[in-house]
Amino acid sequence: MFALEVKNLYKTFDSVKAVSDVSFNVPEGAVFGLIGRNGAGKTTTIRMMMNIYLPDSGEIIFRGNKIGQEFRDKVGYLPEERGLYKKMKVIDTLLFFAELKGKSGKKIEQKAIDYLNRFDLLDRKLSKIEDLSKGNQQKIQFISTVLHDPEFLILDEPFSGLDPINTELLKDIILEKKAEGKVIIFSTHLMDFAEMMCDYIAMIDRGKIILNGKLSEIKSDFAKRNISISYSGNISFLNNHQFVESIQDFGNEASIKVKDENHIQALLKALIDNNVQIKNFSANEISLHEIFVTLAGKENGNVK
Amino acid sequence: MLNKRTLTIIKRELNAKLLSKTFIVMTLLIPLFLFGILSLQTYLINATSDEGAKLIIYSETDDIQSSVMQQLLNSEYVKNGKYVITFKMADGSNFGKYLEENKPDLLNDKLTGVLFIPKNAVFDKTIKYYSKNPNNTALFKNLRSDIDKALVELYFKGKNISKEDISFAGKKVNISSFKVSKTEKAVEEGYGNLAVAFLFTFLIYFSLLFTGQMTMNSVVEEKNNKIVELLLSSASSKELLTGKILGVSITGFLQMGIWLSPLILVLSTSWFMLPEKFVLSISIMHVLYYLINYLIALITFMGLYATLGSIFDNTQDAQSGVWPLTLLIMVPFFIAITLENNPENQIAKITSMLPFASLIVMPARASLIDIPVWQFIISIVVNIATMVLIWPLAGKVYRVGILMTGKKPKWTEVIKWLKYKY
Repeated sequence: MFALEVKNLYKTFDSVKAVSDVSFNVPEGAVFGLIGRNGAGKTTTIRMMMNIYLPDSGEIIFRGNKIGQEFRDKVGYLPEERGLYKKMKVIDTLLFFAELKGKSGKKIEQKAIDYLNRFDLLDRKLSKIEDLSKGNQQKIQFISTVLHDPEFLILDEPFSGLDPINTELLKDIILEKKAEGKVIIFSTHLMDFAEMMCDYIAMIDRGKIILNGKLSEIKSDFAKRNISISYSGNISFLNNHQFVESIQDFGNEASIKVKDENHIQALLKALIDNNVQIKNFSANEISLHEIFVTLAGKENGNVK
Repeated sequence: MLNKRTLTIIKRELNAKLLSKTFIVMTLLIPLFLFGILSLQTYLINATSDEGAKLIIYSETDDIQSSVMQQLLNSEYVKNGKYVITFKMADGSNFGKYLEENKPDLLNDKLTGVLFIPKNAVFDKTIKYYSKNPNNTALFKNLRSDIDKALVELYFKGKNISKEDISFAGKKVNISSFKVSKTEKAVEEGYGNLAVAFLFTFLIYFSLLFTGQMTMNSVVEEKNNKIVELLLSSASSKELLTGKILGVSITGFLQMGIWLSPLILVLSTSWFMLPEKFVLSISIMHVLYYLINYLIALITFMGLYATLGSIFDNTQDAQSGVWPLTLLIMVPFFIAITLENNPENQIAKITSMLPFASLIVMPARASLIDIPVWQFIISIVVNIATMVLIWPLAGKVYRVGILMTGKKPKWTEVIKWLKYKY
């Protein structure tokens, strides 16, 4: 059984199709990545999952029922565009958002204090939000996302605009929540993070799902006949080479797809024969980034 | 609609508003402002230029001169030196020349005016006034009755009529107003009710505008700060809007309660004795009605203000879009303050039963006269219906607007939002 099933979502704004026929399933206990470039439809999909937008058609099933207030109460949501009440005190802010989720009392207050302590913000407990630095405001926002102990975390571009320390903190929280068996769904355009953390992914491009499933399976599917190399030298001879189906050259690294699995050794030989220094040669290996570029970058050239 | 989440939002609003400096300052400032305006008005009306007026009274006959002189020299304004009056007696044919001689003085304000009383004035009571500023109401108010008296006395002189009769003839009719109502016996009407009607009208007007502005800005702030998305992940937009409106309305209601507490004390206790002129013929029920009416007005208008705030994503745009609402409050306000002339006039009667306007006009009318029960019922039904009907419309626009950013939407687009499925 899936924790969340997203079925055939459509959403049009004026005449722009923001999302069309988006479906994917999020299993229990999974870290799920919704990946795609900016403007691909990630935030719209997430807002529909949060019941902030109503889809034109399609539905979202949460443990067998259509999503509603019950789901809202169980979710911790970090919107892409962060915001808090500027004039409110830190502790009041945290307690207010927890209370909106139906959690209040001494216990939650203690928990808020524990979190503040962990994030090194306990001395700012009574400060107004506007007096905090941007980074500290981000921390408060994270705490308010997790304080009510949600079963689901839905994080929209959680890593964007974070300094390395806050990135680490957030990563820790996500892994901690994963260890507790919570479902974590996050959207990102940063493939490295998705690759490091996700069990499952759905790749969305121009409002459509172009890839969807277990990350390890996707990778092994795509990795067949794929070779990643680190090198120095000139590999331009590989363009239009008889073994090569496609090649993505990044200068120091390249990802090469050969026409047949038996060509792998021949490719290595050809590289050496052409005086290319090989620092790393891994066969049947592909990064999520490469997959993404292969799928989404076909028409639009390079995508970061 | 009133669930835990709405209550949480109401609680936050109250925390943010009731304990804020703005609330305390506004609670003190609005009454001060009100008194400031009223006293300024009174001052401006009374401070017209009759202070230190220098007049020449040119009479055609000796009789007129002595009679007028006798009246005027005994009057307060001459005795205390407010007016300086010079008397002149000469034939009417010389008046033109005389006026010409005094023209420079009239023009450079050395002389305020010249009053010409021809001999015929004893019969037709027509006199002439020459001045740079011939419409000096304040001046005439003082002079008219005294000169009138002088002429009347002169007319009856030697006709064997007693002084008492003459003084009776010169007396003006004194109208004391009595308010007739069903329940009580006729009571003499003082200025008290008029003052209350003014108070009611001004307070509802200013506080609706101020509170509305505040509500609008706080919605714009939520939208601008992107808090709203976070809020929407926990509560529905309806709960959000309800919480906001009720939170603000409760704050406004408490504020009004504070303002009216002196009035409530006057009406419900015998601790204060009002001067007879200001005795109130309204009951505590009027104040209760006013408060409840105000609460309905708050909920109705705050719904509109919050919705308007949701349409714009910055305060400047919101400011420039708020005028239809301002008019909706201002026009009934002007109708209500003109009620003192005649609370029964047709416009007042009709507007006191129209949506929105009724909220402001009816309380003022009700404190001046007894309103027929059917009109009261219509007004209350209309007001409550307006409030209830506005809710879903406001909710729809709010739902779309609150997440809409970027370019300022046109009104036609906003109307389209009503049909959106969100």
